[in-house]
Amino acid sequence: MFNLIKKDIIIQKTQLLLFIPLIIFLVFFAQNLSPILIFLLASTFISANAYVYDALTESNILLNSLPYTRKKIVASRYLGAIVYMIISIALAGGVLYLTGYGYEMMDMAIAVGLFFIFAAFAFPLFYILKPAYIGVAVLIGTIVLALGFQPASRFFMEHMTVITDFLVSTSTTTLYLIGAATSIGLYLISWMISQFIYQRKVF
Amino acid sequence: MENIVEFKNVTKRFKDFSLENFNLQIKQGYVTGFVGANGAGKSTTMKLMMNLLQADEGEVKIFGMDYAGNEKEIKERMGFVYDSNVFYESLNLKDIRRIVAPAYKNWNDKTFYNYIKIFELPLNKAIKTFSKGMQMKASMAMALSHDAEFIMMDEPTAGLDPVFRRELLDILQELMEDGKRTLFFSTHITSDLERIADYITFIQKGRLLFNDSKEDVQDRYALVKGSTDILNRETEELFIKVERSSYGFQALTNDAREIKALLGDRVMIEEATLEDIMFYAKGAKKQHV
Repeated sequence: MFNLIKKDIIIQKTQLLLFIPLIIFLVFFAQNLSPILIFLLASTFISANAYVYDALTESNILLNSLPYTRKKIVASRYLGAIVYMIISIALAGGVLYLTGYGYEMMDMAIAVGLFFIFAAFAFPLFYILKPAYIGVAVLIGTIVLALGFQPASRFFMEHMTVITDFLVSTSTTTLYLIGAATSIGLYLISWMISQFIYQRKVF
Repeated sequence: MENIVEFKNVTKRFKDFSLENFNLQIKQGYVTGFVGANGAGKSTTMKLMMNLLQADEGEVKIFGMDYAGNEKEIKERMGFVYDSNVFYESLNLKDIRRIVAPAYKNWNDKTFYNYIKIFELPLNKAIKTFSKGMQMKASMAMALSHDAEFIMMDEPTAGLDPVFRRELLDILQELMEDGKRTLFFSTHITSDLERIADYITFIQKGRLLFNDSKEDVQDRYALVKGSTDILNRETEELFIKVERSSYGFQALTNDAREIKALLGDRVMIEEATLEDIMFYAKGAKKQHV
């Protein structure tokens, strides 16, 4: 399992060199970006990139010919994504701190929650989609996310008074718990679905 | 004699192709060559062996075990070489070793670097810069470095120059010497088989035509030449396929002894090469080769 997780780093060594410059770029050239979005982009970077590599039929043939079960391959994807998410967010936090870009722990927590939700939807899709369409899907996803994130959050802030009222009336701890439970729950369900799909996949 | 691989009534259907009621045994300690035209089902068979595909019906056993519940153990003891590159193209061999080696309990770095040296492979160049032959050698080095008991190769000699092909066959033969290993490989180059195979498995249009020792095949099959006057409905039944020309006929039989007894001096009987068998079997009307 550890080997499979480590593999994600080996296959994208060169792209990883772009990781910190990417965050610095976001800090300087997109100053209005919410830190949440920066954390979210950072957290998905490694796993999304690894996915693009592993979506190739050849990579699947290799991994499935090595002594790994399909269950393990999916499990390492889901667990690895968490490991890389934590490392990436920590790194991004460091970069933002050093560049004096203001953020709060809350931003990190929200990004983690969003990461779980985003991954929960994206991962099974990647297993269903043909490799050729994945690049397009990632591109569209990123654009939609980038364009839609801030208007959406503004929309929620302004109009969803019902939700806001509910949020205000509920204690912060409960709120965190509900958020955490929902996103982690989705992630676990997604894991089951991916495993189901991958077991039946033909190479 | 023990079977390393056993297919029992395996059926796998695709939209435009199917493997039907396939029975196959690969004997431990021998080299089995796997032949058949393009699209005959060789790659499908090999994918079933690696559990990349699952059979619709029937059972596939490797080392006497089912894949269900034993996948890791089976693959631990298998080496594989595919007909196209399966390694991450942008990585060099050093990095690929970092991914492949820890997957096997029995991985041996010394053996690996030894093969890299014999195969003259660069460790620091991306796989995508490799020629087809080099890619093949790279997969071979990976397949041979974890002391696999069963090595499965899909057209390993394709794309190799004749000199290295011969060296490779020698290496494979050396590997077989201790009698513990089993080798199964597909090829279109029938001279490779004549050189190292003990058994020959012949597949055509998703059906197994034969799975016999090389001597058996050479004994049974023959090319028969003679004048067309001896051909009638009865004698034609003796042949797998008959080709007529203005000079006479040429036909393939799988019962050379019977032909000799029946037709004797009236025909010329020549040894059939594997290529002859492949060629004639392709156009045959009856498929009981």
